[in-house]
Amino acid sequence: MKTIRHTTTLFYYDGPQVFEARDAIGGHYVGVMVEPQGGEDRYLVAGVAPERLRQFRAGTIDLRSLLTEAANEAWYLATAAAGLDQPLTLVPQDTGLTQSGLLPDAGFVLHDRPAEELALREARERNNLVLEIAADPPEAAEEHRIRVGTLVGLLGHVQLMVKHAYGAALRELSPDNRRAIDKTDAHLMDVVIPAAAGSFRVVMEAAKTPDMLGQSELARALQRLDVLFENAGNPQKALAKVKAHRGHLAGAYLRLLRFLVQHKTGLRYSWAEPGFAKSNNRAVTEAEAGPLVDMLSGVSNLGGESVTLVGACEKANRGTGAWGLLTADGVCSGKVKEGGPSLEGLKIGGNYKFSCIEEIEEVEGTGREQRTLYLIEHEPA
Amino acid sequence: MSYREPLPEGCPPEAAEEIPAPREVFRLVRGNPPTLNDFKSQRAEKPEAVFKVSECQARGLSVFAERRDAEERALRLPRFRGCSICRVTLQDGAGRIQQTFQPSHHTWWPLAAFDILAHCGLQTV
Repeated sequence: MKTIRHTTTLFYYDGPQVFEARDAIGGHYVGVMVEPQGGEDRYLVAGVAPERLRQFRAGTIDLRSLLTEAANEAWYLATAAAGLDQPLTLVPQDTGLTQSGLLPDAGFVLHDRPAEELALREARERNNLVLEIAADPPEAAEEHRIRVGTLVGLLGHVQLMVKHAYGAALRELSPDNRRAIDKTDAHLMDVVIPAAAGSFRVVMEAAKTPDMLGQSELARALQRLDVLFENAGNPQKALAKVKAHRGHLAGAYLRLLRFLVQHKTGLRYSWAEPGFAKSNNRAVTEAEAGPLVDMLSGVSNLGGESVTLVGACEKANRGTGAWGLLTADGVCSGKVKEGGPSLEGLKIGGNYKFSCIEEIEEVEGTGREQRTLYLIEHEPA
Repeated sequence: MSYREPLPEGCPPEAAEEIPAPREVFRLVRGNPPTLNDFKSQRAEKPEAVFKVSECQARGLSVFAERRDAEERALRLPRFRGCSICRVTLQDGAGRIQQTFQPSHHTWWPLAAFDILAHCGLQTV
């Protein structure tokens, strides 16, 4: 007997009404809930071509057409006795699907209007959050090309900014809410279209699929990015917004802007989730990036974040200002901030509370980040 | 403040909102007139079932913010053949609500004291 596994719910109402599934060899299926039997949920299931499924997700064909066309081959019924977390056994049906009375009425489409924008169209077709970025460095003026270093740097900076935006968004949630979220790799994006048509455009998709409610964790991060990019044309307003997001996110934003200036390019981006009516769009031009960099570079500690450590002193070098503290999370080390406290009098093995500023610097040319803890205050714990 | 159905700890989630001002939502019903059977959660309908969603979601009710989604989508599905649409006016004391799944879909956790049927008006389709 053939079995399938639920992969994505496409339409939910008191339970998954329309869902996607895959079989053991990767074949695509669509299931639609019909009248229950013996108190158990029952689904009409048909194998569908990936391209037709993509069109259904995009809202350009209706469910009845998708199923009718697919059922020319075969159609099945499946009972979800053990729920949709378990494989569903498909029972082949002999009668014609159109005569079964189980087909949905014509006109069930997932979206009211077809998406005109690339990001939204891709989000719907992939049933996931999609971010499209576009750059216009000098080499892209004449033809569809971009320097390797520019592309690699751009992707790296955008990913790092998304990572810090996600971290900042999580910190504002209550501890209970934070615990309830599966945060593993939630900030990561995959490049899915490395060079979309038009100016140099790259399309990325959330590396993780949306949660069971159909929502992507990455949206939290991109909403933060929107706030920072909103006033790119107005440095004073932008400054206020960036100061309000002081910390690693602001630092990552400034590093991205510097990168844009160095590589003589602006940046446009659009992002969407499948349920959006239109994409969210923001941009910073090369001309706007320069004044922003000048203004933000003058803000002290813009990219620093306060960190408090409690633990036993492992190292305290009065000469160099280097220190180490054994905390519950392991050994943390750093140095005394310029003009900061003396390490004199600290006892090795003694328990202390260290108030620090954590700063991130980019390791030149690698796109990697280096974190440094600067001690600004200490007291016995 | 007790809910219509026993809910697990932490349910409704923090993201679910109170309903301070009146708002309308749409629910599919089989009864004409609607009865409380039309407002049973999945868990109340199937006490032993294993659901794809969390226990909290399984104990909430599906409603649409847009009538169009009830009429032009849900009613076209075989499971809801013969159903009608009930417009439910939610107000202070109705419970909590959260957008879940597709944009118009919401999960509603009604309070026990909220008289659902008194706030439900059958719609002509």
